[in-house]
Amino acid sequence: MAKRTPSIDTKNLTAVQLMELDSCVRCGECVKWCPTYAASGGKPGLAPRDKILRWKQFMNKSYGFKAKLFGPQEIPQSELEEFKDDVYGCTTCGVCGTVCEAGINTVELWEALRTNLVKKGIGPYGKLASTTKIIKEYHNAYMLDQKDRLAWVPPDVKIADKSDIVYFTGCTAGYKQLSLAFATSRVLNKLGIKFAMLGEEEWCCGSNPVRTGQIGYQQVAHEAARHNVEALQKKGAKKVLFACAGCFRAAKVDWPRLLGKELPFEVIHITQFLADLIKEDKIKWEKSINKTVTYHDPCHLGRHVGVFNAPRYVLTHIPGIKFVEMDRIKEMQRCCGAGGGVKAGMGDLAVAIGEARVKDALETNADILSSACPFCKRNLSDGRDALKADIVVEDVIELVAEALGLSTT
Amino acid sequence: MTFVQVMIMAILAVVIFLYGLIVNLQKWGTGVTGYNLEPQAGKKGSAITFLKTWWKQVTAESHHGHGILETLILDIALQRRILKRSPFRWIMHLFIFGGWMTLFALSGLMFAVEMIEKIGIELPFTPEVFRDWLSIPNYIFGYILLIGVLIALVRRLFVSEVREASIKYDWVLIGILFIVTISGFLADGIRTGIIWSFGLAPSAAPPAALFHSIFALVFCIAFIPYSKYIHVIAIPLALLANKGGE
Repeated sequence: MAKRTPSIDTKNLTAVQLMELDSCVRCGECVKWCPTYAASGGKPGLAPRDKILRWKQFMNKSYGFKAKLFGPQEIPQSELEEFKDDVYGCTTCGVCGTVCEAGINTVELWEALRTNLVKKGIGPYGKLASTTKIIKEYHNAYMLDQKDRLAWVPPDVKIADKSDIVYFTGCTAGYKQLSLAFATSRVLNKLGIKFAMLGEEEWCCGSNPVRTGQIGYQQVAHEAARHNVEALQKKGAKKVLFACAGCFRAAKVDWPRLLGKELPFEVIHITQFLADLIKEDKIKWEKSINKTVTYHDPCHLGRHVGVFNAPRYVLTHIPGIKFVEMDRIKEMQRCCGAGGGVKAGMGDLAVAIGEARVKDALETNADILSSACPFCKRNLSDGRDALKADIVVEDVIELVAEALGLSTT
Repeated sequence: MTFVQVMIMAILAVVIFLYGLIVNLQKWGTGVTGYNLEPQAGKKGSAITFLKTWWKQVTAESHHGHGILETLILDIALQRRILKRSPFRWIMHLFIFGGWMTLFALSGLMFAVEMIEKIGIELPFTPEVFRDWLSIPNYIFGYILLIGVLIALVRRLFVSEVREASIKYDWVLIGILFIVTISGFLADGIRTGIIWSFGLAPSAAPPAALFHSIFALVFCIAFIPYSKYIHVIAIPLALLANKGGE
């Protein structure tokens, strides 16, 4: 009789990550804070500790003590499929890692598990597979023509052919949420900042394949990182500005890892850039906003890379803004629900999480719920609409543009 | 006779512990050595692979996290991450951790003194005198452990969200700790006739001590790599690898 082989393998899971599974003591802190678990009404399979327990059991059945003595125990395909669904029911916001008493790096673990399952032919979830194929073919996630990357640019916006500073727009701001692109470019012009853009040479940042476990799919993420870095270098970039938290995270964390080297330029979020200009007294505000504003930390800007204060600094320096905080902020923030492929793969769950975050904002009596990421804006707006709530969702850069007397349309 | 029995059991417990630890290290060693890699075809998991990967991560430069010393003191010894989440649970766990580790160390010391005496090296005190010296610290840390274990048990039994989420994996750990702690108090109480003797004759002291010793050796040493107890090894390793965590 042929020797049984394990039902799972350890592709993409590091030796340290496998050890981390055994460090979980099931204290339940991750369950208390998990936004998808809460929005699902407490579906047990979505609890981070439950996912860790299940993969630990899979590991023990495949490589543990009993497997060593008696051979690996088969894991039914249905169990693996169910596990896959639950691993994809996660925005990879990382709050579970922040509160984990064992210090498990959960975001890396979820992404590695997704990649492992994809390589096994079990993942990704639903239509997420098509997104990466689209990015491979179109170099953006919306199946739109690369030639139209700058189609949004209004006549009043001046873009340099080459510059030390390059504005990386991102697919969402460049194709879908044009108000963010209008605001960012006009604010830079107004402040006298000479900047270039990549135009049709700007490819999807690669965040989607990395977050959804498709990092191995035909080198899409690697190619995106390599191409964008080369294109940015050709533009003369010394500093690259991002108004999209997802692209910023990809450039800051994923690109160097994918390329195996440090980037040849600085990457900076637009709120950090503006905060520095405010400190240097280089911004002359022209209008007062006169609204109560609260701020939602995008996971990819806050918890993932640690930018918490710059957006708050900018907001609190805009004339007329009364700034108020929600209950769950900064490293303990509640995710908006858009990340990790949840918006694309499990729309209802994403909106339910968005609703929870909008409720947090409503409790502050704010007029405006601001953020610094087009994905957050989109899902918070969907959550707001689902609740029929009376609150404006606006990006920080839009508020800056307004206070500088600029149009965002 | 009792000493010989305990010696054999201790050696067996350590052997079973080491075997289980190696199996775990090999299991962890089936993982890859870095980001976005795949295991080499046909290569089995090895303890060396795990240790090398772990050390590489511990010593890797990082823009976030804490230094090794800070992690060792604040996150591992003082369990800062638990304190941040719940001061109540922090006290509970620190009592269990501190009590357990100290009693383990004191038992090890007692064992060492008895061994030295057995092999004929003269010490300025007898094992009996040394046992008396240890009795007060043993009591103090025994009660610290007992308080921690009782809090954990009460919490798991009477806090509904904890009880409902508990599985056999959790119950086994706390159940064993409870039995080890209580049996230790009983063995000592019967020997000394103080508080925990429950009127039992001193002649019952040796079998009670033997039960406690064997139970502790089997379930608090040998059983570690095969149960939730593995966290006492895995958590410090994870905290060091992740520089204290996010």
